[in-house]
Amino acid sequence: MRAAWLTSCACCIALSVTARAQTIGDARLARLDSATRVAIVALVDSARRQRLPTEPLVDKALEGEKKGADGGRIVTAVRGLSVDLRAARGSLGSGASTDEITAGANAIHAGFPMRDLARLRVAAQHARRARVTLPLTVATDLVARGVPVAVASDIVLSLARAGLRDPDFTMFQRNVRLDIEHGADASAAAQTRARGAVLHTGRTS
Amino acid sequence: MRAIPERWVERVAGELRRPVQLDDGFDDKVMSEVRRLPRHRFGAWARALRPRTITISPLLSAIAAVLLLALALSAGHAIGMVRALRTGPDRPDGAAERAATNQTSGRRDVQFVLVAPTARKVQVVGDFNDWDASHAEYRAEHRGGGVWSVTAKVPVGHHRYAFVVDDSLWVADPAAPRLLDDDFGTPNSALVVGGEVAQ
Amino acid sequence: MDRSTDAQIVARVLRGDADAYADLVRQYRDRYARYALHMLGNREDAEEALQDAFTRAYRSLHRCEDPERFGAWLFRILVNRCRTMGARRGRRSRTFVSDDLALYEAAEEHPAERSAWREEIERALSRLRAEQREAFLLKYVEELGYDEMSQLTGVGVSALKMRVMRACDRLRELLSDVREDREVRKKRGLTEVNDASHS
Repeated sequence: MRAAWLTSCACCIALSVTARAQTIGDARLARLDSATRVAIVALVDSARRQRLPTEPLVDKALEGEKKGADGGRIVTAVRGLSVDLRAARGSLGSGASTDEITAGANAIHAGFPMRDLARLRVAAQHARRARVTLPLTVATDLVARGVPVAVASDIVLSLARAGLRDPDFTMFQRNVRLDIEHGADASAAAQTRARGAVLHTGRTS
Repeated sequence: MRAIPERWVERVAGELRRPVQLDDGFDDKVMSEVRRLPRHRFGAWARALRPRTITISPLLSAIAAVLLLALALSAGHAIGMVRALRTGPDRPDGAAERAATNQTSGRRDVQFVLVAPTARKVQVVGDFNDWDASHAEYRAEHRGGGVWSVTAKVPVGHHRYAFVVDDSLWVADPAAPRLLDDDFGTPNSALVVGGEVAQ
Repeated sequence: MDRSTDAQIVARVLRGDADAYADLVRQYRDRYARYALHMLGNREDAEEALQDAFTRAYRSLHRCEDPERFGAWLFRILVNRCRTMGARRGRRSRTFVSDDLALYEAAEEHPAERSAWREEIERALSRLRAEQREAFLLKYVEELGYDEMSQLTGVGVSALKMRVMRACDRLRELLSDVREDREVRKKRGLTEVNDASHS
């Protein structure tokens, strides 16, 4: 009986020392309850070991805390994001920047197939475009505004192949948004504006 | 009524066993959905955490406890050392990553505008301020006619943000690219600062 | 290269390799699409039920007790999905027309005898009660034993045998009626052509 009691104490001390070391993590995560923090720190450590960006994961946890989400929901969101980040990095290549990977994760979360991200990377390289952060952001925006994923993907790919630069991508996004706000069908607006944007470059995909 | 032989069952079934053609994109649709779900990472852990009864002698348990204590103490020390090597002596991880971004690529002035005629307070929150609405530099001013705006420094790169109206209502920026951020039930907007873009 | 077993693929997915799940999708989609299509009667519902089943299976993969028999476990999920969808949607969106007249005329319009026969089977199948259709498909199309069917559906073996028997009786009735009438109309059709050619 006494041995069992001593054993239990020893184990508790040992586990608490280990647990304390594991949960230090990012100081900003102190805002989370302890159970959630442990889980998030584990996810962040796992992402770091895979050389994935960790800041988006911490950021997602902080967002959840600020929005009053319960710990389980925060962990689910962070876990889901780490999956998407990994998928985005796999599609965009190991040379992708943190911003590209984050934008790619958003696109995957919106339903874009991984192969479309890879195609976008190839199209951008052929058009001598350094980064695909904004095309991915615009693609996600199209889907969020009601354009089907397949249509949005085709549009953004064609714009990238045509060599559209960031200011023109921004203008395209604004025009589509305004058209939709004025009552246009999302797909029709996006496809029409895309044709115009491609004409403007003087190149076709 | 003409009688049909029992062989007909096999004829009918044979016809029904013929393969069917699915839509070409079916696999992609499934995998797209699957990839949105949390990845199985802890399947093995779940099995490991299932309660089981084990018996162990008192002497063996005491020896195991001592070894466990020694292992935990050295693991804690090693984790502290590795973390210090990776992030520098005084900085937590995320801050190091952000500080590096700020130093190498800078911050730019970005104007945030929201039309909210009945609002009493509008703040900008996002990953650039840890979603913390208490930063004064991200508090919008009312310019009249329901127009609220603030110009703040935002690091170059891709960001997620939203407006918080009257400390309670989360609003995406209507003029900015949207995100399908359904994790916490309130919408966010995307912002790309710098790079090839003059935002 | 040897194809991985289901258990190996499941293990990979549970270790975090979600993309490996695509192998399971590819392996089972055609076979189970066939079942879903015959149960629900239209392609759209069948694809939806199948996609839903794959997603649910992925989500609960850690609860699959015998990964080597992943296919059977997935099938159970699909059978339940088809039941739920079938109950919810009734026969509203069946591809096959229940009106007998239209059935005969449609059958006559098909150039190939075989596709006409196939359509007749599908129509007859659609006119079975859902539980009879399910039992018939599991027994004769998916070629399961009654014990397996019982495990899959939760219905006792004797009840399943009764359902299969009633399904066969009803199908026999429906199909023999159709065949008999079609033969009569064919003959009538030939007569009409002959009359026309001589007029």
